[in-house]
Amino acid sequence: MMLVQRLAVVAALAFVSAEASAHHAFAAEFDVNRPLELSGTVTKVELINPHSWIHITVAGEGGETTDWMIEGGSPNSLYRRGITKDSVPIGSELKVVGYQARDGTNRAVGRTITFADGRSLFFNSTPVAGPE
Amino acid sequence: MTRLTLTSRLFVLGLIAAPLAAMAQNGKSDREVPRTAAGQPDLSGHWTSATIVPLERPVELGNKELYTQEEADKLLAESLVVTETEAGTAADVHYQLDDFGLDRSQNPIALNLRTSIITDPRNGRMPASTAAAKAAADARAARARERGFDSAQDRPLAERCIVWPNEGPPMLPVGYNSNLQIAQTDDYVVVLLEMIHDARVIPVDGRAGLPAGVPQWLGSSRGRWEGDTLVVETTNFTGRTGVRGGNVLSANARVTERLTRTRDDTVLYQFTVDDPETWTEPWSGEYPLTKIDGPMFEYACHEGNYGLANNLSGARAEERAAAEAAEKQ
Amino acid sequence: MIGLLGASLAVAQDFDFPGTRDGHPDLNGIWQTLSTANWNLEPHAASQGAIETLGTIGAVPPGLGVIVGAASGRDSSSRDSSGREGSTIPYLPAARAQRDQNFASRRTNDPEAKCFLPGVPRATYMPHPLQILQTDDDIMILYEYASAVRTVFMNEEVPAIAESWMGWSNGRWDGDTLVVDVTAQNGQTWLDRAGNYGSATMHVVERYTPLGPNHLQYEATIEDPNVYSRPWTISMPLYRRLEPNVQLLEFKCVEFAEELMYGHLSKGEGQ
Repeated sequence: MMLVQRLAVVAALAFVSAEASAHHAFAAEFDVNRPLELSGTVTKVELINPHSWIHITVAGEGGETTDWMIEGGSPNSLYRRGITKDSVPIGSELKVVGYQARDGTNRAVGRTITFADGRSLFFNSTPVAGPE
Repeated sequence: MTRLTLTSRLFVLGLIAAPLAAMAQNGKSDREVPRTAAGQPDLSGHWTSATIVPLERPVELGNKELYTQEEADKLLAESLVVTETEAGTAADVHYQLDDFGLDRSQNPIALNLRTSIITDPRNGRMPASTAAAKAAADARAARARERGFDSAQDRPLAERCIVWPNEGPPMLPVGYNSNLQIAQTDDYVVVLLEMIHDARVIPVDGRAGLPAGVPQWLGSSRGRWEGDTLVVETTNFTGRTGVRGGNVLSANARVTERLTRTRDDTVLYQFTVDDPETWTEPWSGEYPLTKIDGPMFEYACHEGNYGLANNLSGARAEERAAAEAAEKQ
Repeated sequence: MIGLLGASLAVAQDFDFPGTRDGHPDLNGIWQTLSTANWNLEPHAASQGAIETLGTIGAVPPGLGVIVGAASGRDSSSRDSSGREGSTIPYLPAARAQRDQNFASRRTNDPEAKCFLPGVPRATYMPHPLQILQTDDDIMILYEYASAVRTVFMNEEVPAIAESWMGWSNGRWDGDTLVVDVTAQNGQTWLDRAGNYGSATMHVVERYTPLGPNHLQYEATIEDPNVYSRPWTISMPLYRRLEPNVQLLEFKCVEFAEELMYGHLSKGEGQ
């Protein structure tokens, strides 16, 4: 059988993504006017649907700590690759760039979530070189 | 350690982009089609419906039904660009799909040369809505604007994790996890959709359908074998499930689906939606399902649905803020 | 008395149970339990329900309990303090306190009240039918309650990759008994409406044994070193649903749980 390797990515006119109805709601759940950057230590990893949540503790200047929940994606494609939540061990240092919850609580969607050294959480890539 | 690119993140899955129309006509060679011990075509296994083919054909293509192989290759190559979002825009308020292996480039897709999933009407686009359906759609949109965040019941069915629009029937591809698992016995064909972990149990033993007083979100399906094609008729819809374009499928809609295993790695999926209360004519479509490896993973949507509570909470916070601001004036 | 030992059940010769081509019992069909296990696995008298305004409709029916001795048969050497052996769940002390807390908060905290997937074994004895789809390949078990479903891998053991609500199931035949090994549940389910529960380290082994043409004996042995002091076993019949047109219907209960879960977030609720 002749097999041809193919790649495909979302094109602008491609079929409606799973996020389409939720996309509207992402902007409702998180505030585009509350961008943030956080560094914290992993306390819990929920690889769940519809969205994963990674819990981190962020140290404040005065030594106090704050607990944050960071939203990510469905883990099913990770599982298909044999990746489990053990990829992100408790105690790991993470860097989060994202947007805070609209209701002001300590929740954020992680636009990018990486290990503190820039490594991808699940795909072990080398850090992306240079500033964005 | 090598720098990871989109290419190397891919599953290696090769798919033959052969014209589906030709397949449907020649299709069913006994030598190629796996069969169950009872002699029925074997539809069982894990399949993906992921595609870059849109539901509706771009208007400028007119009645052009198929791309040539060269055109399709070009489209694919052009779509290899990961969409970048601009910081501070609504589109940027999202996690990164490819961090979680969810980007389409990272998963197997089922290729075909069609310009649209819809095959009839001939322009590959949904037919016109009836006047009543249009009025109802407008009323729903108005209500959503006015009170769309008032309560959980005002949120879309998908956000409430009740049913997702890809489930139908007709079943349609979805942005990620666009997979299904088919299990089959002599009396039943079961289609388990990964999104959102719903199993359609389709008796093929000739029994009668559900009585009229029992509508279901996924309708009530009855199947029969016509030669090597499984024909599934579904009725008993709720009148509350949405279909792309702002319409809902009426309670009296009838959806007919056909599943044909055209080759070892392909099941051809065809459907017709007959709903004269909603559209001025029936509409049909088709796309291939391509074999993938199992197992399927649970997508328990409602159980992890922090997002719905957060949306409502966010709306209440905004109302409070607006009320406080108004008081200060 | 219904035999409790899968391995030593010798009933296959006495009745015609449908068989598959490869000689195993054909468990295809729609089945349902008839016990009060979903109210409370342990012996219990009738009692007021958690919602008094439902009156009798919400009341708890009495039940003899479905727990049997953890070892083989009625072992008189392991009687509990009330003189009956093996009828209650052998909780570790801290776990029993948690169970009691669950019971006290059951109106809002029972995962069933929230339409959450029930896990194994609770899915088996919900007050809804289940369907066993036994193919030439794997077995799928479908549950009317909340459209729950799971695949039982039958061809080779598949190690669990992910935890989930319905767990990860590997099955094999032990004579005429289907044995299903369930791991990787997420520890968020309860075992009944009385707050009995297990944790994420719970390991369940189920046995489905034909007893008669329309009866299976269902047993589940549950162990969890973080919750119980020893493994324990439940046992009850599964009855074939015999209505001619019987089928699983939709019980998509999310809608029924929304007011409970999200009502306080609605507009005008004073949040």
